[in-house]
Amino acid sequence: MSEPVAVLGVGQTTYKRRHPESSAADLIWAAAEEALADAGLGIDAVDVIIAGVAPDALAGENCVEKTAIFGTGKPFLRVNTGGVTGSSTAFAGASYVASGRARAALVVSLERMGQASTSQRVFNTIFDPVYEKDFPLTTITMAALRASMLMRVYGYSERDWAEIAARNYRHALRNPLAHLHLEVTPEDVLDSPLLAWPIHRLEACPMSEGACALVLGGRDLAAGRNAAWIQGMASTSDSYAMGDRIRRPEGSLVDLLSLQRSAVRAYADAGVSDPRKEFGVVELYSPFSSAEAMTYPALGFCAPLDGPRFIQEQQEDPSLPVFNPSGGPQAANPVSATAMVRIAECALQVRGLAGDRQVADVRRAVATGQGGATQFSTVCVLGTQTP
Amino acid sequence: MTELVSIPGHWDFDYTYFAGEAASRFFAELRNTRVMGATCPDCRRVLVPARSFCDACFQRTTDWVEVGPEGTLETFTIITAAFPGLPEPPIVMAYVTLDGADTALVNLVLGLDLSDIGAAAAGLQRQPRVRVQYGPEPQGRITDFAFVLA
Amino acid sequence: MTRPAIYVEGAALEISFADGRRNLQELIFDTVRAAVDDSGQPMHEIDSVVLAAHDLVDGRSLSSMVTSPAAGAYLRDEIRYGDDGAGALAAAVTRLEAGHARRSIVAAWGRSSEHSPDQFSRSLFEPFRSRPLGLDEFVLSAMRAQLCLSAGDGAGPARERASLRRIDSARANPRALRGGGFRSAPHFPLDDADLPLWADVTAAVVLSTEPSPIRVAGVGQSSEPYNFGDRDLRTITSLKTAAGRAAADAGFGADTADVAEVDGLTLIDEALGLEAIGFAAPGTGLRTLAGDGRANPSGGGASGYSPPSMGLVRVVESVLQLRGTAGSVQQRSVRRAVATGGSVVAGQTQTVVLLEAV
Repeated sequence: MSEPVAVLGVGQTTYKRRHPESSAADLIWAAAEEALADAGLGIDAVDVIIAGVAPDALAGENCVEKTAIFGTGKPFLRVNTGGVTGSSTAFAGASYVASGRARAALVVSLERMGQASTSQRVFNTIFDPVYEKDFPLTTITMAALRASMLMRVYGYSERDWAEIAARNYRHALRNPLAHLHLEVTPEDVLDSPLLAWPIHRLEACPMSEGACALVLGGRDLAAGRNAAWIQGMASTSDSYAMGDRIRRPEGSLVDLLSLQRSAVRAYADAGVSDPRKEFGVVELYSPFSSAEAMTYPALGFCAPLDGPRFIQEQQEDPSLPVFNPSGGPQAANPVSATAMVRIAECALQVRGLAGDRQVADVRRAVATGQGGATQFSTVCVLGTQTP
Repeated sequence: MTELVSIPGHWDFDYTYFAGEAASRFFAELRNTRVMGATCPDCRRVLVPARSFCDACFQRTTDWVEVGPEGTLETFTIITAAFPGLPEPPIVMAYVTLDGADTALVNLVLGLDLSDIGAAAAGLQRQPRVRVQYGPEPQGRITDFAFVLA
Repeated sequence: MTRPAIYVEGAALEISFADGRRNLQELIFDTVRAAVDDSGQPMHEIDSVVLAAHDLVDGRSLSSMVTSPAAGAYLRDEIRYGDDGAGALAAAVTRLEAGHARRSIVAAWGRSSEHSPDQFSRSLFEPFRSRPLGLDEFVLSAMRAQLCLSAGDGAGPARERASLRRIDSARANPRALRGGGFRSAPHFPLDDADLPLWADVTAAVVLSTEPSPIRVAGVGQSSEPYNFGDRDLRTITSLKTAAGRAAADAGFGADTADVAEVDGLTLIDEALGLEAIGFAAPGTGLRTLAGDGRANPSGGGASGYSPPSMGLVRVVESVLQLRGTAGSVQQRSVRRAVATGGSVVAGQTQTVVLLEAV
């Protein structure tokens, strides 16, 4: 990286099912204004704006971010990489800053799915129309196909999924921005309706609307500001075909090879060698508990077969990082924005600005993004030290 | 307080998807009750359903081979909740690696006793052998067949 | 801050229509494979993929999920812009300059035979104030054309000659669509010949930090407001700003280019584009298109059109001109070229790329 890049400002709307009081442009503006104010910068200081919006169909508007174009005359691009849209958008902005083409970048991601009457029908249309769309493949059933394989291969139980979900909901109680504020026990999760075996309603993410924005800058702007440095960031794409990965020797469908490869690169840049000890906070883009379990070995927290035990260890070993102090995507999943929310939450933790959900003394945090057909993975390491 | 306006909308776009020669040939073979895979000359995997290139090697595939009709159920889900616009539950959907193939393909599994979802799931977790069963009138679509227990 | 130089190592494009032998992924694979072959690089030397594609054009609600592996994304760093291909190229340049990647595929596509460009165009308008009026991209281009053509000074005859030359260039261009394609219904004052020929378009380049004969000398990007009423319709302000930025970056401007490949939805938009970048003087865009072979030698939108690929198509055509391999539309002694790409709505965001033979 030629010029180090830092998160200088964070802005988020609340996340909820619908924001009928705000237009798409209003939501984008609200998040952007807050991020600029947090950074102590005006829009004039920004040299590029990158917007992230994924499936247009969820908003029922095409290129909805164009209505919010601001700072007329600035380079403006639109990123759409599904679930990783938020982190891809942040990374795109980071490249502009690191290349020296922008002193500051404003990156903003919007989810407007409150305008969709049904999300799973839309999500079926993301699949290949020739060989796969005829089947009831959706984000939920895709997660279920992986979850049952995780249970068979690595010994997870439905109880494990319920434990993860209950912890995420518990954390969300301290996050005023979260969509769901529920007091939920693992038993409640297991008792919630079965959507697609082995996934229960309370293991799935909600449909949330909202926007998230970051202001990114280099060394000169970071001076004198409360900065969270991007110490490492990496993105990896995998094959679309889930069936091609079931028996793949270098990493099966449930090994999350794309996340593993991203982690290796991001950790190398950040100088992270022991993720169990070196992170204070982990913010995961896991819209289902089972998807969260898949990240543990990929991020180097445990061996694949030790995954179920690692769920218990998190509760018993205080030296381990805190997972999803924000509550994670199970408590709020504004799809286009979620991967940026993970980076935003890590930046707030590193900067000591996370309010009631602040974890003590966070020197370093890691945020993930996950999207496509278990296919796109991003890892972003943030810390107090300039890389 | 201003009354908040919302406007009903409908999201409807027309498309014509070209399956292409490789998928068309795959569908034509399905009508002859044959499931075909295509071989990647670099990694030597037999890719099913057949396609014209291997994305891992970024190379065109070459020889076509018949696979199945039996195979191993790899992973599955039992859909138990109804979603607007999607078929009525319960539905069993699975990835199956057919004999002779290196990759799995997705389809429905029919003819299972789903009166007890937990018991059905436990049975499917044992990775049963399945076989391809064709419907009465093949249309040259991926839905021309489903899996049943072998 | 000095930035590393970026080079174009490989380029390919294909314009076809409703070729049922290939599905969308196969069209993409063929062009990207051709660009990689053209670069002479093995796949393991490529560590990045940057794409421009749109879900509603592709009829796949998360296009890159299905299409990115066809563009070489397997276990590589990949990002997709839902934006014009030249914009994606500019973003790819920043990645390489930042050291975030060493060598990148940039690919863009649009398949008009699979979707309805008119439905797409109408859906771009927000549902509260503009969609109920039945606006589409061509309404805006028509309003622009009306202002431009009513300006007098022989715009009418120049338009006819520009139109004829554009058709001649498209006929001569070996990469232009041969048969098939379709046009939308024109709104006054546009006529059939002003409109783009909807086609299936795929374009790809390979960018690298390692020296090779074609250099990306400068890139510039800009944008303008969504509301058409907030814009100056007589010029494309965002394109003008982008051209200025690209010139500052390159140390030379589009006015010194030996070839200009300008993206515009209609003939008149192309003419205004030439003016905005300074290749033609204000008010002379149509005359330049009519009389100067170096302005859109490819035939522009008459050779086949489908967003969001067009900016990258213009880049590939420019690269071929610089290499001297553009075929019967080749211009003489081309050392510098300028390519532009605009995106919805009505060219709201613009990218200018200056290329140089080194």
